[in-house]
Amino acid sequence: MKTEIIMFRKPIPQIYTEELYRRIYFIASEILDFTLSFKDENIQAIEVKITDDADVERLAQKINLTIEAEITTQKILPPKIVWQSSDKSGFEKDVFDRLVEKGLVFEMGEGQLCFGEPFIRLMDALDDKIKDIAISKMGGYEYRYPTLIPTRALEDCGYFNSFPHMLMMVTRLHSDVETYEAFAREYGNKKGIDSYVLNYCNNTDYCLPPTMCYHTYHHMRNTESNENRVVTSKGKSFRFESKYFRTLERLWDFTIREIVFMGSKDFVLECRQKFMEASFALIESLDLKGHCEVASDPFFCSPDTASKIFNQKMQKLKYELRLNIEEDKTIAAASFNFHDQFFGQRFNIKKSDSNWISTGCVGFGIERLAYVFACKHGLDEDKWVKILDGVKTL
Amino acid sequence: MEDNKQKIQAFIYEILNNMVVSDDQDIFELGVVNSLFAMQIVLFVEKEFGICFQDNDLDLENFNSINNINNFIGKKKNIIAC
Repeated sequence: MKTEIIMFRKPIPQIYTEELYRRIYFIASEILDFTLSFKDENIQAIEVKITDDADVERLAQKINLTIEAEITTQKILPPKIVWQSSDKSGFEKDVFDRLVEKGLVFEMGEGQLCFGEPFIRLMDALDDKIKDIAISKMGGYEYRYPTLIPTRALEDCGYFNSFPHMLMMVTRLHSDVETYEAFAREYGNKKGIDSYVLNYCNNTDYCLPPTMCYHTYHHMRNTESNENRVVTSKGKSFRFESKYFRTLERLWDFTIREIVFMGSKDFVLECRQKFMEASFALIESLDLKGHCEVASDPFFCSPDTASKIFNQKMQKLKYELRLNIEEDKTIAAASFNFHDQFFGQRFNIKKSDSNWISTGCVGFGIERLAYVFACKHGLDEDKWVKILDGVKTL
Repeated sequence: MEDNKQKIQAFIYEILNNMVVSDDQDIFELGVVNSLFAMQIVLFVEKEFGICFQDNDLDLENFNSINNINNFIGKKKNIIAC
């Protein structure tokens, strides 16, 4: 490993710090760690720890090109907070380390955790509260989807144009006895599995799903109905977060409770608003601290990145529920999204008058919500039960 | 001011492929604009009228119709909107 300081071609204003920070590890896999260097309200350089074989000149070019194409083209909008919880103080310390020490959480890989009781009960109980809003309050219907999602469905969702850096694909050895024999020979001669295995793979037809709502659009593809509908599901979602994985705050492999609204535009917007209000009430009942703000998705590597982010924020297409894990630190535990007719059109889902439906969705990260809960209330299960039992039926 | 409005109309009609819209029509409600549109309007206003945006200026209400864009430019240039 070596350390290098890479100067930016031009210092960039501090307002771009967050947008730059969240992209660095995706610029090159040789970057192992980094620190931004500030001077006079600008970011002027980055100190990187990189692999010994990294080409520093090429890396500097990649970083500067990314800044010019993706970062400084953005118009940064000031935060727009639409809800703030009542003030709550007092957070637990070192929660993740304590969870690991007590055997409630075990690190299985990069951004991959194993959970034990009673943390599983906590996650299930919190999920039940959200599911209850979807079904009892919003008249939702639950489905259970497979984990794999067809690559074609992700293409129709526009995922490859927007978030290629996060995609995790699934392949397999080409289904042919000669392939298996050739692979077995090479595997027998090599020490372990490496990228050579890809030479024996052909298929790109399935991916790991980055979110749950895509399953629902794929499920409803080519259907027509005049009914306004609410669908809920829970399942595993997967996003390559590079080296950004951290405690339960950011995982590669996590659980989403998803609620999808489908129908007229007014219905979808009303549902989104209702669900937001019910969620805020739930957060207060759980005695958690946080706020809700206008947000955007992590678009990357598209000439339209800046425009897409700007459009989402200007039109308030996405809100994020950010909950405190420390006095001054929040994580995004849920998002509330409006897609207009985007998915209706892409998946040919129509109303009886042949117009495409509008859609919206709400996604809660269950591990994150449970972590927020533990950071506020500690690791005493008796205390958890008291708080959860005290939540009013919404 | 009338010159400004004509420039705005020309720009909007071009983006909408000559679709007819009234000056008070909410362009985002039409369902025909894509995700680039918001940025295109802002960049057009910056470049064509030399406007420097402050944080609070970047509100959809200032850009969602020909009249609102015209009024916004008028306010920024201290000219009363027609």
